[in-house]
Amino acid sequence: MGRIFITGMGLISAVGRTVAQNREALSGGSCGISSPELVPTKYAGILPCGEIKISTEDLRHQLNATETGTTRTSLFALHAFEEAISDSRLTPGQLTSFDTALIGGSTVGGMCLTDELYRDAQQTRKGSAYINSYDSSAVMMYLQERYKMRGIINTINTACSSSANAILYGARLIKNGLARRAIVGGVDSLAKFTINGFNALHILSASVCTPFDQDRKGLNLGEGAAFLVLEKEEDIVNKKLYAELTSYCNSNDAFHASSLSDEGDGPYLAMKGALDLAGLAPGKIGFINAHGTGTENNDLVESRAMLRLFNRVPPFASTKSNIGHTLGAAGAIEAAYSILNLYHQEIYPGLNCLIPIAQTGLLPVESYKKISLQHVMSNSFGFGGNCTSLVFSKS
Amino acid sequence: MFYIHQTTCISPQQTFGEVNIKVLNQPAGHQLKVIEPTYGGIPPGVLRRMSKAVRTGVGAAIPFFNQSPIPDGIIIGTANAGLEECFHFLKQIVDYNEGLLSPGSFVQSTPNAVAAQIGMLGRNKGYNITHVHLGLAFENAMTDAGMMIKEHPANNYLLGAVDDISLYNHTLNLLAGWFKAEAFAAGELYELNSPGSIAGEGAAMFLVNGNPVNAIAQLQAVGTVHADDVVTIEQQLKHFLHRHLPAGEKIDVLISGENGDNRLQKYYASCEKIMSDEAGILRFKHMCGEYPTASAMALWLACHIFQKNPIPRHMVKKNLPQKEFKNILIYNCYKGAQHSFMLVAPG
Amino acid sequence: METAELKQQLKKQIIEFLNLISVSPDDIKDDEPLFGEGLGLDSIDSIELIVLLGREYGINIQDPKEGRKILVDINTMVAYIEQHRTK
Repeated sequence: MGRIFITGMGLISAVGRTVAQNREALSGGSCGISSPELVPTKYAGILPCGEIKISTEDLRHQLNATETGTTRTSLFALHAFEEAISDSRLTPGQLTSFDTALIGGSTVGGMCLTDELYRDAQQTRKGSAYINSYDSSAVMMYLQERYKMRGIINTINTACSSSANAILYGARLIKNGLARRAIVGGVDSLAKFTINGFNALHILSASVCTPFDQDRKGLNLGEGAAFLVLEKEEDIVNKKLYAELTSYCNSNDAFHASSLSDEGDGPYLAMKGALDLAGLAPGKIGFINAHGTGTENNDLVESRAMLRLFNRVPPFASTKSNIGHTLGAAGAIEAAYSILNLYHQEIYPGLNCLIPIAQTGLLPVESYKKISLQHVMSNSFGFGGNCTSLVFSKS
Repeated sequence: MFYIHQTTCISPQQTFGEVNIKVLNQPAGHQLKVIEPTYGGIPPGVLRRMSKAVRTGVGAAIPFFNQSPIPDGIIIGTANAGLEECFHFLKQIVDYNEGLLSPGSFVQSTPNAVAAQIGMLGRNKGYNITHVHLGLAFENAMTDAGMMIKEHPANNYLLGAVDDISLYNHTLNLLAGWFKAEAFAAGELYELNSPGSIAGEGAAMFLVNGNPVNAIAQLQAVGTVHADDVVTIEQQLKHFLHRHLPAGEKIDVLISGENGDNRLQKYYASCEKIMSDEAGILRFKHMCGEYPTASAMALWLACHIFQKNPIPRHMVKKNLPQKEFKNILIYNCYKGAQHSFMLVAPG
Repeated sequence: METAELKQQLKKQIIEFLNLISVSPDDIKDDEPLFGEGLGLDSIDSIELIVLLGREYGINIQDPKEGRKILVDINTMVAYIEQHRTK
């Protein structure tokens, strides 16, 4: 099988609206978690979020997205998608070709319009302009229509690992000859729906999250989007090669709807499967972009699973301390961060961890470092036990 | 792509357990709702939290974990699973003004609840994924299953689809004009010549692998198109048949996704036009209604036909050739924007 | 309200709130653990029960860990309700 490389990236998050801005923010240890000003919720001022401080209207104007019914989620996706395809210098012909796939992950989709959705579902006469925009597939349908794409188009929803699975799926389409290139990624925006949902589960922190800290109080929600352009080695001429997508594995924890098992079988099997598929010894992994949500359950279980797999746990950190948990976008955004680690041979600090978890003693990377990296792993775990690990390698 | 070895289907018709599709169950009001079994295989402690989509999906999947070969992974297509719970949670947000909310419905509001519950009950730690791309959610799941089997030739996968009617999606689709407002008998669906179809729901599951021995059917190819112009779709269908049908072979049976919506009739008519004069044509949406993964019901019917079961009169649009069928083509279209072709052969 | 009456009412509310299929109030013993063995409830149920206490009895429990001490069995729940109810 041919090798698959990342030739373009696009990224928007609470710490930056481009890939370059994100890199700069992560290098400097910036945190984009703040009191929400744009998402309509009574928890503004109480529950901090990784909110992108641009209004939906300004975003729509800036992107010249005049189609009716475009949601904040679709606009973030468009923003990152445009950066990715321009970065990879894909031609219009390549975009509309039958062998260009578009695979995205999203959980919130058009449900960012929580109140509008509630009203529409109660209507008996006439729906709003968003009537066809609520499905989680609406975002990829929007990009497909806007760019007249004709290859395989798909939306995956495995909760918080959705876009990690979108990357995995795109890579497999290429390896199986069903696509020549794939634009893969994910998006979610802040919503009253998810803020209240995670709050009802008592896993939102009222202060900035502290992944892997003994006294962690929960997660902060975030919003954003990332897309990667995946291409086959033999097709790439005179392009920037960010990294190779070397391996991936999807496993299920098969334990509980919203928490991970004590032993962390799902996370362990996902990480181990990803190593096995590439024939990599655990010691070859130079850095792990951990799922690290900052909840009691995730960070303990993920740490245990890392200890189970690695004789010496490699340096790791969670970028959720910079941008919050972006749910369906998290897998893609963190994949992009992992690729930046490799491309620039550097690691970014995990923020706010003061005391390691007593049971595991693992401390995330504390400061920015230049470091020689061959392979980086990115973890994404979701409700329903959906665990996926990706491995990227220096090109 | 793969061989189909076992199937289950929970639908508005008598398709689960003792199958009898000769009798045509009628819609209740404006909807075709599934006949729910008793779900003996699901522990009450788990069943209590399940919404209808999760119940029917898991209910249709459980039999596969009680017999050999046990699936190595779970691949589900669904557009709507979780929406009912999603709306429950939305209602709480409004009713209690973002106050003290019960989290159960939030946890079950994600579409991956079906595959996740199947994984939990089946103690399956393998590949587990949920495709949600609306009218092509099942087709994308099929493509995934085909790739998994190519990558792991000895493995078995549970491939399935489920969608249900909830207040939420029914209202949204009705407002958007996708369902007829008037009530009618199932048999009249294709005669009304008006916009909109009838709301439906169902779950269908398939045990698939790469082993031809004793298979019920072989899925030879699946194709998907995003377009709304008839010419493109016709070209794509011709291209699909040219590529996947052995030279000189013709389609024996077309299972058409015709759904009574006169705005979509042009797509089905152009597909019929491509068929030879001898090809028989069957319809099925009067049995299960319209929903994003209805094509899974069509695949279940194709398997049913290849198991040498009689084809009920109410399905026949154009007479079938009097011979053993070498193939069945399924053409389905969702809301005029998403189209799919499946080529199925006997096992 | 008498303690016995409150226990009976609470059992009915728990069954309805958690949708405990085929469980009747008489099936729930006053001193039987609600979690793990016994009724077999889990972490989501414990949060659901905190919501129940809030909505039915006006009891505000912020920390789910605090809840675990109250949600041991029917006896501990009823004792807490009797002391802290605001409605």
